[in-house]
Parts: sequence; C-alpha cells; structure tokens
Amino acid sequence: MADTKYLFQRNETWWVKVAVPRVLRDTLGYDLRRSLHTKDLDEAIAIRDPVVRELRQEIAAARAKAKSGRACKEPAVPDDPNGFEILRREDFSDVTFLLEVDAPLLARAAEPGQFVIVILHERGERVPLTIADFDRDRGTITLVIQAVGKSSREMQQRCRKGTHLHAVVGPMGYPSEMGAEKVICVGGGLGVAPIYPQLRAFKESGAYVVAVVGFRNKDLVFWQDKFERYCDELIICTDDGSAGIHGRVTLGLEKALEAHPDAERVIAIGPPIMMKACAETTRPHGVETIVSMNPIMVDGTGMCGGCRVTVGDKVKFACVDGPEFNAHEVDFDDLMSRLQRFRNDEAVAFDNWKKAAS
Amino acid sequence: MAKKTIRSIPQDRADMPVQDPHARTRNFDEVALGFSLDHALVECERCLICPNPACVPACPVNIDIPGFITKICEKDYRGAYDILTESTLLPAICGRVCPQEDQCEGVCPVGESLEPVAIGRLERWVGDMAIREGWRNVPYIEPNGFRIGIVGSGPAGMACAADMAKAGCDVTIFEALHQAGGVLRYGIPEFRLPNEVLDAELDNLRALGVKIECNTLVGRLFTIEQMLDELGYDAVFIGTGAGYPSFMGINGESLNGVLSANELLTRCNLMGATQFPKYDTPLGLGKRVAVIGAGNTAMDALRVSLRAGAEEVYCLYRRTRNESPARVEEVEHAEEEGVRFEWLTAPIEILDDGNGNVRALRCQRMELGEPDASGRRRPVPIEGSEYEFAVDTVVYAIGTNANPIIGQTSKIALNKWGYIETDENLQTSIAGVYAGGDIVTGAATVILAMGTGRQAARSMKAYLGIRDSQSIYEAPKIDGLPVFGIDPNEKSHVRIRVA
Repeated sequence: MADTKYLFQRNETWWVKVAVPRVLRDTLGYDLRRSLHTKDLDEAIAIRDPVVRELRQEIAAARAKAKSGRACKEPAVPDDPNGFEILRREDFSDVTFLLEVDAPLLARAAEPGQFVIVILHERGERVPLTIADFDRDRGTITLVIQAVGKSSREMQQRCRKGTHLHAVVGPMGYPSEMGAEKVICVGGGLGVAPIYPQLRAFKESGAYVVAVVGFRNKDLVFWQDKFERYCDELIICTDDGSAGIHGRVTLGLEKALEAHPDAERVIAIGPPIMMKACAETTRPHGVETIVSMNPIMVDGTGMCGGCRVTVGDKVKFACVDGPEFNAHEVDFDDLMSRLQRFRNDEAVAFDNWKKAAS
Repeated sequence: MAKKTIRSIPQDRADMPVQDPHARTRNFDEVALGFSLDHALVECERCLICPNPACVPACPVNIDIPGFITKICEKDYRGAYDILTESTLLPAICGRVCPQEDQCEGVCPVGESLEPVAIGRLERWVGDMAIREGWRNVPYIEPNGFRIGIVGSGPAGMACAADMAKAGCDVTIFEALHQAGGVLRYGIPEFRLPNEVLDAELDNLRALGVKIECNTLVGRLFTIEQMLDELGYDAVFIGTGAGYPSFMGINGESLNGVLSANELLTRCNLMGATQFPKYDTPLGLGKRVAVIGAGNTAMDALRVSLRAGAEEVYCLYRRTRNESPARVEEVEHAEEEGVRFEWLTAPIEILDDGNGNVRALRCQRMELGEPDASGRRRPVPIEGSEYEFAVDTVVYAIGTNANPIIGQTSKIALNKWGYIETDENLQTSIAGVYAGGDIVTGAATVILAMGTGRQAARSMKAYLGIRDSQSIYEAPKIDGLPVFGIDPNEKSHVRIRVA
C-alpha cells in the first residue's frame, strides 16, 4: 500500500490535509486543505511534502499571532455608562488637556485648593487630581491633566466628550485659607490650572492678586484670558523666553516680591522641585508661603497613609491634613524621594500599555 | 431523645477542611473550606442545648445559638438560617471573621473539659448554604416615610441599615470608596472572606430596599449637618471606622518600602494590585517583608505578602504569642504557610540603602515584665540586644486611629483621641445623629461593630417613635435580672454543671 499520509482523494483528485491544533480551530477551522491538482497517487506523493510544510507554517504563524495577542492584548475595558460623563474636552498641547465632568454635587461642594480622586475604568488606579475649576451653575468640575504616565496617557487616549470616568470622588482635603489683602499666586507646569480657582476666590474676596505662571514655551500657554480676568497683575514666564519673562517662575516670583514687599501670602503649586525653589525664594523675604502637596496616595480618605509627608518634623497625611502646607516647613527632598516609590512599576505599566495599544 | 451530656456527645470537634498550605500561598482562594454536611451534623450534636445558655449573652448581637444548632440537628437548615437572620445580618461573614474563642465559644461549657462547640463554623456553614440556595429573608416592610442616612458601608453601617430598612425606613448608605463593604472589602483579604460572600450579603441588604451610594465622601461632599437640614434625612448613623493607620515615629519611616498594613491590603483587596499590570495599581512589595504587630490585620498583611510573591515574610511582635491579639486560627494558618515569627522583638530604627529605600531594620529583643493596665505583661527591652535585620519592606500593623474627616467637617463632639462621643444610646452631641463601630469604640471586631450598629438602630427607632417590631425576635433581655438566683452577667455562674 502506498504512503497516503496527509493525502485524501476528492473526485479522484488528490488533496493534502493538515489537522489544526484545538486552540487554533476558532481562527483556522478544523483542518487546512489544498488540492494537488493531480489524479495520480505517485505524483501526489512526490509533490506532497512542500505543501505540507507550507500549511504547517501557516499554522505556526497563526499560533504566534494568537500568543502575542494573548500576551499584550487584554480586552479593552468598556466605558462605564453609570460613571461620570465628560461634557467637554479641550487640548492645550500634545500633553496637556482639559476635561469638564458632570458632577453637580461635587461642583456645589468644591472649594479652591481641594482635589478629587479619579478612576478611569474599573481596572484603573485611583488618581488624585486638583480641581482646576468648578461651575456651580452648570454642575461641572474641570480637571486639567498632563499625560505623563500610563493612567494619564490612557485618559488622554480614551476620554472624549460623551465618555465616562468610572469614578470621581471628593472634594478632598481642606479648602485653601482665604483672608489676605495681597497675594502672589505661582503656578508652574501642571500647577497652572489648580492655581486658577484660588486666585479667582482671592479676587472675589477683594484681594489684590498677582499671578506668576510658568510654561516651557509660548505654544503651551493656556487660559491667559481667564487669568487676566481675575488678577491685577499677570506675569508669564517661559523657559525659552518666547513669551513674557525669559526664565523660571522663581524669577517672576522674585520680581513680584520686589514690586510688592507688602504681599501677605505666596501660594505656589507645581512640581515639587518648583515648589521647593519657590519656598527658598520667599524664605529670605519672610512671606508666608503655602504649597499644595501631590504625593502618591490610594484612597484619599486618610486610610492608607501612603501620602504621608514630613512637615516641620511632624508626619502629616496630605489627603486629610492637607493638601496645603506651610512651604517653609515642608521636607521637599522627602516628598521627591517618595514620589520615586513606584518608578519601576510605572515603567512596566507604561510599556505594557504601549505594547497593547500598538 | 435522651438528654445529651458531656459524655454522650461526640468528643472531638469536627475538623474544618483547609487548603493545603503549600498550594494556598500561591492563590487567593479561601483557606478554610468550610464544613461539609457530615461535619456539620456531627458538630451540631456536640451542643448540649443548655437551658440557660452562656453563649447567647456572650455574643455581641445575641444570636440564639442553641436555637439554630437545634434546627441543624433536626435537619431544618432553613429554620437555622431563619433563627440566625433574626439577630445577624451576615452569618456567612461573621462565621468567618468573629473571634469566637473570646465570645460564644469562650464561654461554652463543653469547652471546660473538651474543645468547645464550633459555633462559628456552624454559623458559617448555614450562611454559606443560604447563599448557595439563594435563601433570603425579606420581611413584609411597610414604609413609614422616614429617611435615614448611613455614613460608611462597613459592618456597623450595614447592620444599622438593615434594621432601619426592616422597620420601614427609606435608607441610603454613603460610601467614600468606589466599592461598598468598608473593611470587609478593603481590609479582609479574599482568602479569608471571598468577595462573592460579601456581594451576596450586600445584595440581601439591597433586597430590603437599602440604597448604596458609592464615591460619596460625606463630610466633604456634604456635611452631617447638611444631611439633616438640607437633604431631608430624619436621622443619620455614622460608622466611618478607625481607618487612620498608626506609625511608630521611629527614624526612617518615610523611606520607600515602609507602608501601613491598610495600604498593602487596600492595594491588594480593593485595587487588584496583585494582578498588576493588568490592573493599574502597583504593589511595590519587596522580597523580604517584615510586618510589625501581631493582630488580625498583621496576620492578613503577612499572608497577603506571601501570596503577592514575597520570598521571606517575618512577623515582629514585642510580646509573645500568648499576648497576640489575633485569632488563634489566623496565627496557626500563617505559621503553616511559612510566616516566621520573631516574638519579643521591637524595631527601633529603619535603615536606608542610600537611595531612599529600606535596607534593614534595627531591632531590639524584649522580655516580659509586670502586667500593665490591660493585664498583659509589659515588654521591657533587654539592654545590649540590638541587632540588624535585613528586609526591603516594612509593614506597620500596630493599630489604627479614628478617621478624622467627620470631625473636621462638623461640630460633632469628639473625645481627646478623635473618636466620636456618644451617650449610652449611641447618640452623638447632635440630636438625631448616632454613631457606632470603630469610630466610637476604637479599633475592634466586625461583630462588635455590627452590635453597635444594631444598638444605634434601636435608639434611632426610639428617637423617631417607630415601634420596634423586631424586638420580639431579640434574645431575651436578662440584664441584671437574676434567673434562679444566678446573676447571668457573672460569667462564672452561667456555666452549667454537668453530671
């Protein structure tokens, strides 16, 4: 009997048939077949092997594809229609964007200086974000987000008008203390937006408000009109000098302090290194300086203790004791060290997500 | 049926099947697998059905223990469930997490000469059967128009909500986190209390008409005063718990790698950090983990660390095993799983590696001295016994304090430790506002929190003038009333003399 392995006959024509492994049958079917276009068995045996090899390669390719798909393509988490609806999105640059979220109770309760915790989807992490604005009439709060890590970039990718955030909870932390005649508000980087509700509140309470805001360059400047409306003097600083003062916010702050030696309070919000520099700038002037801390936190309700910061040799929880503290007492080096806590994990999460997205 | 005596009952406790220690350190499945029907039927025969039971008053919610065990003996399991649910909302949960050896099982007269009746395991068995069979006791509820706000969806809030809903009130629970359950969700790990059990009990609550609003931070989103004045609640119950973790105040606590047990457990239980990076929340646990403290939370932290991939896990406690406040079963389970206990050891400093991470602990050996106010022998440091102990993660499980948010945002009276002050009816300084659970008592147990939740519900009903239709089900009140000349509150007298 001739060797008819992989061969079968259909209408006298010889065909090759290779079985597909069980796990791939959903994509390839039960087996792969190809006609050899001959009715002669000897001829079929002669040309069989290359065809079998070809079909085998097809199966191997499908297997590799399925495996890579499994490794990095988790099914995307669906949008949660019971979450908090996004009513507006505005992009300020390729990394900074604004979300206006429908949350009437939150908008009613929010005060300047407070923050919320946002969860993007049901597998997401709890991300603390300072409230950049709130509109009690419209019942919305505004968040300004800088896409730097995995969660924030995923937000940048997923959040559109009409989609939902899984959770928004707050407002957390003590509101800013009001009651000063003359204040200097300093915002740098991701701190520009959160400083806005504070200076608006100060202006509405009748204070003389000087704002110092810093950006990398002219193209990244946003909300200039909003700032101008609520402050008596606006100093814009850019790293490359393309708009306003050429230099960092500390330069603008120095100028503001020189022009207004009677300023009662300085409020600085931004990256830790910038807040530290502001604290050092104001220290010789002896002006009360307030900073808003942004440590790593989980629940934001005083339960995990992950957000502890050292203030004047005492340990405070930024979520319930802050987030604003006296800048001259804060241990910024401690804060910056603690922000590095998950550096490796952050990189893993980001790589993984990028792989899945591509 | 002949009367049961200590000699006629099965002498040995039915063994609870458990997952193999080696297998279970690699999964989050439940460790104690629960009784089978055979186990339960043997164990229930061990109860002497005392006519004047000691276990009932020893239970914070006064479950009719001989009553439900009798029903199991009669093979009327549904009847047993009905008796349990008259007093407890969460039999499947309490059977798992109550410290029975200090409560019902601690006073069981069988325990004087044999192992006490495994009341907790029987309770759990009935609770699990109810979940499996879909039993639910939803009474006929006639709405009375009162609106009740409950702050916190933990055990105290759940118990209070259930009682108020059964009385006909419109009850809403507010939870600050994105999932309900409080400490049962974020604190107690899956291998001790599976989420399905908690979800089933929460569904029971919803079936009573209770609404649960997550993502609502009461105090900041609206205050207690606003709930009464603007939002139209007739009474409010505060059960926000004692979740604020303590640290020791020694050097090096701000290093990366030092965290509270709460943080570790929240990341794992609530945020799914053990499945990072599928879930976004990282855990950041090292290979050599030291947990400081030896309470139930410490045991949970130790066992979670093992399951999350730590290679060596140590428990540091300044007293000995005898003084450990954890449930005996938890310590045994932790030991079986490979947790190493360093008794009589206290950390005095956390050392860094130069990059802001933990390198080691500096520890000191202790010895037990004279008993202190709590009756436990006070640990005294041994001079010159200091040594270094290489670890990369330090977890604090040395207790928690009152959550400060309600105190910060309302005029409610607090005591000097920040807990809410209440009178004997659990009413706070604001009329119509009651409080219970850990925010009143300080860190305690799930069942005690449930007990105070129910007590607050009773006071609330009295305040609102609701006739308490549930009271007929409650265990007979024997406060101060001597029965047959024996003072039932005197524990030593309640024991039954066995011939």
